[in-house]
Amino acid sequence: MIVIEHVSLWYGKDFKALDDVSETISAGQTVIICGASGSGKSSLLRCINGLERFQEGKVMVDGLSVQHPRTNIQKLRSRIGMVFQHFELYPHMTALENITLAPIRVARKTKADAGRQAEALLDRVGILDQAHKYPGELSGGQQQRVAIARALAMEPKIMLFDEPTSALDPEMIKEVLDVMVDLAEAGMTMIVVTHEMGFAKKVADEIIFMDNGTIVEKGAVHAFFKNPQTERAQQFLGRILI
Amino acid sequence: MGIFNYQFDWSVLWQEPYGRLMIKGILTTLHLSVLAWILAVIIGILIAMLRVAPRGSARFLGTGYVQIFRNTPLLVQLFFWYYAAPLLLPQTVQEWMYDNIPNYAYWAGVVGLGAYTASRVAEQFRAGFLAIPPDQYRAAYATGLTPFQTYRYVIIPFAFRVILPAFTTEFLTCFKNSALAMTIGVMETTHTAYYIDSFTWHGLETTTAASLVYLSIAIIIGVSMSALEKRLHIPGMIVRGS
Amino acid sequence: MDLSVIFKNAPFMLGGLILSFQLAAITIIAGLILGIVLASARLSSKSVFYYPATIYIHFFRGLPLILVIFWLYFLAPVILGTSVNEFTAAALAFVVFEAAYFAEIVRSGIQAVPFGQVMAAHSTGLSPLQTARFVVIPQALRNMVPALVTQSVVVFQDTSLGYVIGLREFLRRVNLTDAREARSVELYLFAGLVYFSICSLGSRASRRLEKRRFEAD
Repeated sequence: MIVIEHVSLWYGKDFKALDDVSETISAGQTVIICGASGSGKSSLLRCINGLERFQEGKVMVDGLSVQHPRTNIQKLRSRIGMVFQHFELYPHMTALENITLAPIRVARKTKADAGRQAEALLDRVGILDQAHKYPGELSGGQQQRVAIARALAMEPKIMLFDEPTSALDPEMIKEVLDVMVDLAEAGMTMIVVTHEMGFAKKVADEIIFMDNGTIVEKGAVHAFFKNPQTERAQQFLGRILI
Repeated sequence: MGIFNYQFDWSVLWQEPYGRLMIKGILTTLHLSVLAWILAVIIGILIAMLRVAPRGSARFLGTGYVQIFRNTPLLVQLFFWYYAAPLLLPQTVQEWMYDNIPNYAYWAGVVGLGAYTASRVAEQFRAGFLAIPPDQYRAAYATGLTPFQTYRYVIIPFAFRVILPAFTTEFLTCFKNSALAMTIGVMETTHTAYYIDSFTWHGLETTTAASLVYLSIAIIIGVSMSALEKRLHIPGMIVRGS
Repeated sequence: MDLSVIFKNAPFMLGGLILSFQLAAITIIAGLILGIVLASARLSSKSVFYYPATIYIHFFRGLPLILVIFWLYFLAPVILGTSVNEFTAAALAFVVFEAAYFAEIVRSGIQAVPFGQVMAAHSTGLSPLQTARFVVIPQALRNMVPALVTQSVVVFQDTSLGYVIGLREFLRRVNLTDAREARSVELYLFAGLVYFSICSLGSRASRRLEKRRFEAD
């Protein structure tokens, strides 16, 4: 479903964020990407929906090349949902409005249809009662759940998560992870950049470990945790699993 | 009449005594503005610190200053300093000034322009101070810095970057406002241009020259400030092209 | 202190305020519209828009308003062939001049919207135009309103510069009165007080708006 072929990305002339990265992700899989800060994991994620422009290589999503000039990037993006570390809800709109904006303006749904769908989604993530609140009035965990609902509103086939719980207080991490576990078990194709290893162990099909812009190690979750093959991976796990 | 009937005579600009007058006028603009600006920044930062001080009486003073000087036009203030202020001084002081300060208009200009600009600089620094998260202050105090040191080493440099665009504008504005000193008789650039016109009827040439002077000042300031802005840029904000 | 001077001449002087207000209103409305056009051009990545707008803004931000007023007052009749009354000359000069300032305020307001917002909007499939319209501009407006109000107050104060071409607005009338009565202290304090009252209303509104924005976050 997602094919990444020999992708390299430079920021400016000196910093190489991604170094010849290749990977294939099939439909329905839940893939975790982990690694230290600066390892390129967020950049890789952003290459998939075209928010980051890479200089070398190819990314194919559902048969379409992401950087090909004739690809309708908006249409492609509406099939991919993304959730950000800092939620990025539109502060001047209510939770409901945040969710219905794209369905109305891009998918051309009517306000009523979009509204109903948004309410269903809010219910699914457990905060229907907050529908008419503004982001400023919601807790971090609530905001992130609205952000997930917003991403789901376009009925994407793939969901990308960029450190979704890193900016949350510990008590709120669980509520967001629960939503994500639900999604994974329902069969959504998910790529999640995260440090939450409990979550990884529960639902991930594959874990990818990145360092310095390359994929250092990848494989099944249990194997990775029990028996990390490379030294870098061992160091990393040693540091985070105390 | 038409612009083609106008006989241009650019030699007016360098003929004696007009050439010398123009140069004198330009220099007057330069030093009057710089003196006023120095005054304005010193007073402005102090007033801004008063405005954010914890003590109510300090805030009242600061706010009072800003309110008075920002809400009256510079022209009125200049008239006040030139015509009215001396009348409020004791007779002996007035006579001393009459004997010893022949170019009182110039100094009225410096004080008037400085006091006015100070109120605007104060507002900008206050905005900068407020844009800094309160924890920055607490962090600094926690390491033992006094309030004065905190402002000097932590707050003011940071606030300065935040307000740099507006601060640049204000510096430029100060130069341009110096032209208003012509209304109280100061022979700066604009006045000189106008004055030469009254002798030669070649005002178009002189005002063009005057415009070029101001534009050159603006370009020099603009270019160096742009470079400064770029060097001090804080990552994460939108730049041109997005 | 002879305050009777003020009361005797108040109707004459205050009558000039009408002209001041008219000039300010025209300048703010037309100047803001032109400013928005300029700001959009300045944020564009297309050179054909960016360079003219940038040159315009730098040109007018580099000149004193007083000079621009003189220019237009002397130049306009020469080019247009007919004489131009003071009000029109002043209005033209003001609009053209203040637009450059409004443009910069609009631009900073837009640039203060965090880039993450743009990324989030793009990720749901919104086009750049839609992102601008629904996500960036509403937030940018909230950002720039306090500065716009402040600039409007400045515009009102700048109407006093109509003085230099003889426009019979408020300050000119105060000055004429002073020429007749020679009571500078009282009259200029009065002028200051009038401007102060009007402008501090505007400043207070701007501060209240600023406060509301902080609370909303």
